[in-house]
Amino acid sequence: MRPFLLRRDELPNWIKHLARESQVYFPQRAGRSGFRFKQVREGSLIQLEHYRPTIVPPGKKLFPAEEILFRYQTMGDEIPVVTPVLDASKQILAGVRPCDLKGIDLMDRVHGEGVPNPHYLSRRTHTTIIACDCLYPCDDACFCDAVGSLGWRKNADVFLTALDDEILVESFSERGRTLVQRTALPVCDAVDSFKERVDVRRSKPFGRQFSVPLSQIGPIIAGQWSSPVWENHVQRCFSCGSCNLVCPTCYCFNVRDDFELSDGSSGGRTATWDGCMLPTFSIVAGGHDFRPLALARQRHRVKRKFQYLTQRFEEGAFCVGCGRCGRQCTANIDIFDIVNDLIQKVEG
Amino acid sequence: MKPKVAFFDFASCEGCQLAVLNCEDAFLDILNLVDIVEFREAMSETAPRFDVAFIEGSIHREIDVQRLQGIRARSSVLVAMGACACIGNVQARSNFIAPAENFKRVYGEADRNLVQSDPEFWPLWAHTRVRAVKEIVSVDYELRGCPIVPEEFVHLVKALVVGSIPSFPANAVCVECKMAENECVFDQGETCMGQVTYGGCKAICVTHGYRCDGCRGFLPQANRVAHQAVLREKGLSDAQIEHRYRLFCSAQFVGRENRR
Repeated sequence: MRPFLLRRDELPNWIKHLARESQVYFPQRAGRSGFRFKQVREGSLIQLEHYRPTIVPPGKKLFPAEEILFRYQTMGDEIPVVTPVLDASKQILAGVRPCDLKGIDLMDRVHGEGVPNPHYLSRRTHTTIIACDCLYPCDDACFCDAVGSLGWRKNADVFLTALDDEILVESFSERGRTLVQRTALPVCDAVDSFKERVDVRRSKPFGRQFSVPLSQIGPIIAGQWSSPVWENHVQRCFSCGSCNLVCPTCYCFNVRDDFELSDGSSGGRTATWDGCMLPTFSIVAGGHDFRPLALARQRHRVKRKFQYLTQRFEEGAFCVGCGRCGRQCTANIDIFDIVNDLIQKVEG
Repeated sequence: MKPKVAFFDFASCEGCQLAVLNCEDAFLDILNLVDIVEFREAMSETAPRFDVAFIEGSIHREIDVQRLQGIRARSSVLVAMGACACIGNVQARSNFIAPAENFKRVYGEADRNLVQSDPEFWPLWAHTRVRAVKEIVSVDYELRGCPIVPEEFVHLVKALVVGSIPSFPANAVCVECKMAENECVFDQGETCMGQVTYGGCKAICVTHGYRCDGCRGFLPQANRVAHQAVLREKGLSDAQIEHRYRLFCSAQFVGRENRR
């Protein structure tokens, strides 16, 4: 199907039109400088550009902070009846940037391979993604191009590219085509020249860049287990876990069983976000803590993003370069700086 | 036989006991599982022994110490309930002012002198230092906060009744702020105690537009040196930082590391 053109000032109407039929989330202001993927209402302010990455990434709409995994009911000596809780409500995530788009794709693989997570996959199956291109880095914290996220298109159902007064509307999936066709939009006859103009306009270099190719970063980090860089960056760390919880590719969770006070014979299991920077994360049965130092926890976090998961899933980086961890860290610890310092140790 | 539960208050506003009563529906269910044998906010009976004693309030005088030790001797499990019992709360700020100065400020010079010389008022004078419950007797569990979080109270009672291990993870308030997708207080141009403070409160203050003042106490891993550096970068003076640190946590933190 050929791409369509949408006038930029028509975008709010289009998004709100979609929101009348389904649950649509779009980045909207939350507080003084923050943004949140909030449900679109009639009065919502819809602007494609000029928003800082949201406090938590849109992928968390597929993996909420707290969710009930199953409920149980006991009946005397019989085997308890266990009922899984799966969320199958339809939703559209709109205004998703390439970094977050890649984050969702990586999470699709994490939750889909090995032992699949039916709770994530149920939400994912019922989620449509309308992504949008970035022509400028969102702020100084951004390094999406350095980790190969800027050009990510793969899992978008609809992809929007805004240039001046026009938005190019491409659909990459059957679901996306259905969504776009419901609105009568003019066909774009000059797609190639539109994209050429976009590439001319795009900032170069785009955001912060590493001094070595991405493929070298994993081996460089692997060789620096006891580098002083880890100590330098952890001195200010609060072990508050904010970097984990706002990360598009952090997916650790804890489970907790609970029973109803009223009858004592029923209850459920709840999953809540967890993070490897939290001191309680590595405490196991019997009280043993296998990673008690903040230094070791931070090293583990960086290695997950640039070494361990990249090997397991054969992906260039498991960090999408959105910059959220550095932006949200009150001590200004930035994973880009840590990796860059490790590179400098080797490069001299 | 149902476990016997008792509530006691020392220097406090009794707000945590009200928070317990405010559990309402859950509280009625709890009454089916336990026998409450002492609870001044709700009943007048007293009992000789209990399985679980909830202690509200900070400990000030010698007679309070003796009373608390008596309660400890009569109970199998002792729970410090609320910021006063756990960390001394705001009243522990008086620890930084000489007692005579405090009395003068509150009662005036004449009465201050009377308190010192009249044997009838002597017990009042015996108030020398505000202490948390764990400074006097061993504490099995702590329900933090000013006031306590009702969900945490219910969680603890459930665990005690069925014999499971209650979970109060020592994580910062930031965890629940991120779960609520709050804009960071520092991004709002304010400063916050959240990074060094025990979570478990669902970041209720930040969620409702305020900052964290640290009523749940310092975390064991609290990186106070880094936290003070961040507060200084945000323009707070050492005196302001000390004030913030002492607001709730005076009995826990006496400010020695601030002296240079």
